[in-house]
Amino acid sequence: MTNILRLVLTLFFDAYNPILVAARALFIVGAWLLFRKSGIKSWWALIPWAREYQLGRCAAREPEGRYFCVTSMLITLMSVAIICFQWNDDNETLIAFAPLILVVLVSLLLIRFIYNIRVFSGLIRIYGVSRWWIVFCIFDELRFIPMLTWGAGGKYQPAWKVEDLKAEMERLATHGSAAVMDEGLTVNLKDRHVKEFFHKKYLLKDIHMAIPQGHMVLLLGGSGAGKTTFLNAVNGYEKADAKVTLNGNDMYSDYKKMQYEVGFVPQQELIRGKDTVKRTLLDAAKLRLSKDIPREDREKRVHEVMDIFGLLPVQDNMVEKLSGGQKKRLSISMEFISNPSLFILDEPDSGLDGVMARELFEQLRGIADTGKIVIVITHTPDRVIDLFDDVIVLAKDSSRTGRLAFYGSIDDARSFFGRQTMEEIVKSINQKEEGGDGLADEFVLKYAEVQNG
Amino acid sequence: MADKNGNASVRQLEVRHRGRFGQISIYFGKFIRMFVYQSDWKVLPMAAIIAGLVGFALGREFGINMEGTLTATFAVVCVCIWNGSFNSIQVVCRERGIVKREHRSGMYILSYILSHMMYQLILCILQTVVTLIVLHLVGMKFPGKGMFTPWMVVDIGITLFLITYASDLLSLWISTLVHSTTTAMTIMPFVLIFQLIFSGGVFSIPAVVKPIELLTISSPGLKAMASQVNLNDLPYSAVDGMVKMVDKVEVGGRITLGQVLDLLQDEKNPMVAEIRAVKVGNTMTVREIGEDLLNNDTYADLRGKVLVGNVTLGDVISALLNTEALNEILDMEVGEVSTLGEVIDYLAADDAIRSLRNEGLDIHMTVGDAIDIIGREETMASIRKTASEAMYEPAYENTSGNIINNWLHILVFILVFAVLSVITLEFIDKDKR
Repeated sequence: MTNILRLVLTLFFDAYNPILVAARALFIVGAWLLFRKSGIKSWWALIPWAREYQLGRCAAREPEGRYFCVTSMLITLMSVAIICFQWNDDNETLIAFAPLILVVLVSLLLIRFIYNIRVFSGLIRIYGVSRWWIVFCIFDELRFIPMLTWGAGGKYQPAWKVEDLKAEMERLATHGSAAVMDEGLTVNLKDRHVKEFFHKKYLLKDIHMAIPQGHMVLLLGGSGAGKTTFLNAVNGYEKADAKVTLNGNDMYSDYKKMQYEVGFVPQQELIRGKDTVKRTLLDAAKLRLSKDIPREDREKRVHEVMDIFGLLPVQDNMVEKLSGGQKKRLSISMEFISNPSLFILDEPDSGLDGVMARELFEQLRGIADTGKIVIVITHTPDRVIDLFDDVIVLAKDSSRTGRLAFYGSIDDARSFFGRQTMEEIVKSINQKEEGGDGLADEFVLKYAEVQNG
Repeated sequence: MADKNGNASVRQLEVRHRGRFGQISIYFGKFIRMFVYQSDWKVLPMAAIIAGLVGFALGREFGINMEGTLTATFAVVCVCIWNGSFNSIQVVCRERGIVKREHRSGMYILSYILSHMMYQLILCILQTVVTLIVLHLVGMKFPGKGMFTPWMVVDIGITLFLITYASDLLSLWISTLVHSTTTAMTIMPFVLIFQLIFSGGVFSIPAVVKPIELLTISSPGLKAMASQVNLNDLPYSAVDGMVKMVDKVEVGGRITLGQVLDLLQDEKNPMVAEIRAVKVGNTMTVREIGEDLLNNDTYADLRGKVLVGNVTLGDVISALLNTEALNEILDMEVGEVSTLGEVIDYLAADDAIRSLRNEGLDIHMTVGDAIDIIGREETMASIRKTASEAMYEPAYENTSGNIINNWLHILVFILVFAVLSVITLEFIDKDKR
């Protein structure tokens, strides 16, 4: 067998032994048929490594598919490298690296074996067949048997199909846009996506809204609906295909300046524990306030903020010694120090008891009343719902993309969803496997129709 | 303060915030406070303890012999890499969430990394000073003048600082790459082992992977320090042990007179040529010449010359004088000769000797005896010198060029790791949370 033929066979089939090549060819035929059944384009079966990834998608085990793909690629490339060395009669290099190659190759084969099993056990679950089929998957030469059987057999049908995302997207698309306001926040987000392996994954799509100044807005959504992604897109930190304006200024094109106009309080207290409260706030002030502000004024502002958030008695304490509520208030005051126009808080009440949470939300209401926009994510909204003006409801549609299911006043939300409490609204849009009613698509469509007039 | 008419945004757009260099002071001050509050100072006593242990175990042979100095140098380089690596392996990943938050609030990654670099620079200088003081206290001295400063210890200190700082920045880069302290501490041993294995000088690695040494901090570090302590000029004492091991081993065997004569007439052999050039007295018997060569101190060096294997000229002369078959020849008078070569040629041309060319001579002795005949001290000195010459490494030559090259090599690493740290951390906004 010529070296060039060995190379081609290795690249395409990951082997040049005739028996293995034949087994792999049958495997590709099986993958072709299986992909068609699972709603994936069949030609992916012809592309080395990509077929392993697509197999993971068919098995509803995309992360495993990625590892399966990467390890397969590395193994093939190592095999190709070995053939190239042999081709050049460079056995000296090959011998020198032999122990290293052996260790790496064995490790990769082991990893691939594990992910192969995981992907195939996923396929077994999806096709509802006996677990004994896994035996065929253990041996590389026999993997084509289940692939051909499930792919060609009429009685084998997958319980879950990789959806045709484009059609689904089009069905749920809204074509309107929110008018840009001179005062307040306007969001016109076409989509926010990430490129994953061999496809584009949409995290958010079609979100349009205009929030007036002085509004305190609740951001609702089930787990994975894209709430944090949405907030990051709004404040310009993670840019989306969108136009976001705050008081008429473009958040994206003027990001370097506008970032000081947005205060983002993360869910966790991301503050250095081994520093005093006052020093932490002084550093935050140095970072966020104008460099032209005199030192006395900066210290005065720090004192003022500590007073507002009740941190004066603990100003010389170490941050790590503060209570949960004090840490939360410190975290908020670090952002509040620059007096931002848009204030975003990701679960500020996590870890706080009802009374403390209520006090905190009342403080936030006070901030909104000074003419700022306050957007809050919380998982216990009903105890403080009277403090909010509006609600944004994000829902994960059937293609697992975050979409706008509603934006408007609290009362309008109740009538739109036909639910009295916010928790009931979240339950209605959550997927069935998450314990919800699985009505996300329905409400997204309904709201899209409302927006499209 | 913002108001309801949106003037706040317009005002904010005109506000000038601290730039990249302006922010350095904020973070530098923060890290200095961390040094006190977060017990970062613990790295200093840790450096002292490690240096103390290494100095105690290896310091005695430092500067005395080649192998002891090389081992101690390697150990000191390892100490520096260890110190530097553990200074910053967790510094970024342990506060990655905080960094992301502050980056979102206007912090520049460049400022953050430069502040770390400044803070770590001071830490590494302090660690180097502590290491040198402790090494001095436990007996590892760096006497004399340095190549660049009046004190060798300062020159060595620069090398140790560069190794520590480069390792520190390598770890800083790893810390920006990984997302948790657990991952960082898992990667750390691999990095250390890589540095040690490919340091060159101590571990023998296949030639094909030798170029990997260029990618390690330990290799230029070891070369710089070895150059500074003038490793090439130190004796290689490990041979003492080897000689002791073979001291009782018997050597010798049966050789013919013809073989001896042929060897002594081989003028191409520089050793033989030297022997042949020795001047001897006139009109003496062959025996007298032989005894003179054996007993006269003038010829002690000559007697010790090794002719073949372990057989010296002294052994051969002694054997010849004790061979009864040669009595007639030994009593022959040799006239009008001036060099030993001429005596040998005269004897070799003699018919009586030619008839005895196939006569065998038995030479038996231990290696120790042979060395004692030649002179143990001189022999050992000669062996050590020869071994040192065999161990000669151009990279360890005590030249300013060598030292500067290695320093520059490490400086390149410092620069590369600093740039990589900034580039890597710039992607922090891609973190999932």
